[in-house]
Amino acid sequence: MFNGGIDVGAVNIMTSDDGGHSTEQIVELAMDKIMRVSDTAPQPIRDQAEAFQNHLRHVLYHYMELARREERATIASRMHKAGNSEMADLVRRI
Amino acid sequence: MAITQAMCTTFKRQLLEGTHNFKNSGGSTFKLALYAVGGGGKSSTTATLGASTTAFTTTGEVANSGSYSSGGGTLTRVDPSVSGTTALTDFADISFTTATITARGALIYNSSATNAGVAVLNFSTDKTSTAGTFTIQFPTADASNAIIRIA
Repeated sequence: MFNGGIDVGAVNIMTSDDGGHSTEQIVELAMDKIMRVSDTAPQPIRDQAEAFQNHLRHVLYHYMELARREERATIASRMHKAGNSEMADLVRRI
Repeated sequence: MAITQAMCTTFKRQLLEGTHNFKNSGGSTFKLALYAVGGGGKSSTTATLGASTTAFTTTGEVANSGSYSSGGGTLTRVDPSVSGTTALTDFADISFTTATITARGALIYNSSATNAGVAVLNFSTDKTSTAGTFTIQFPTADASNAIIRIA
């Protein structure tokens, strides 16, 4: 007897208003792909996994913020060099 | 007048006929279109999608906005794999930017095969972006969660 089937998974939707996703949202998207903690895991293992998950979340947040800031700095620099100083200042202050 | 999450029945038959190829290299072109209910779609139409959906339709599709245009976006394929006795495939997440969209669901379809329907996705509630980014994140590619699984 064949016990099987063809199934479709559930997607996660993330939206933003007046601009792109926040760093927090991007971190959550990344965390969903990196690790999940099983509901059925023994409590000590869950505690350890969740502690690592929180640490990872903080590290990701820090470096994503840094990446966004550095990208803006590069864009602002290019704009400044091209003679668009006002636009460069706007980008730098985001 | 509803969007019911399901694998399109015609897709199951077409799998046996070799219509769809999910390989990253040389595979079919799969796209994802967004749909609204309650008259929120184009021309105030509302979407009715489910297992009986056979192909992409503009009825109930959300209006063009930002980087979203009719037909939706092209999905990046991930090579099918096996986990235990389950075969599965995945897509990279897709985003529509600078878009004002309210959607209740989506249709994955194969534009290389006369827009044949693959799967209907139900978001449970209306999801809205206003002059922002609308991201669809695909589930973890494992035997229990992957977007398309054959057990």
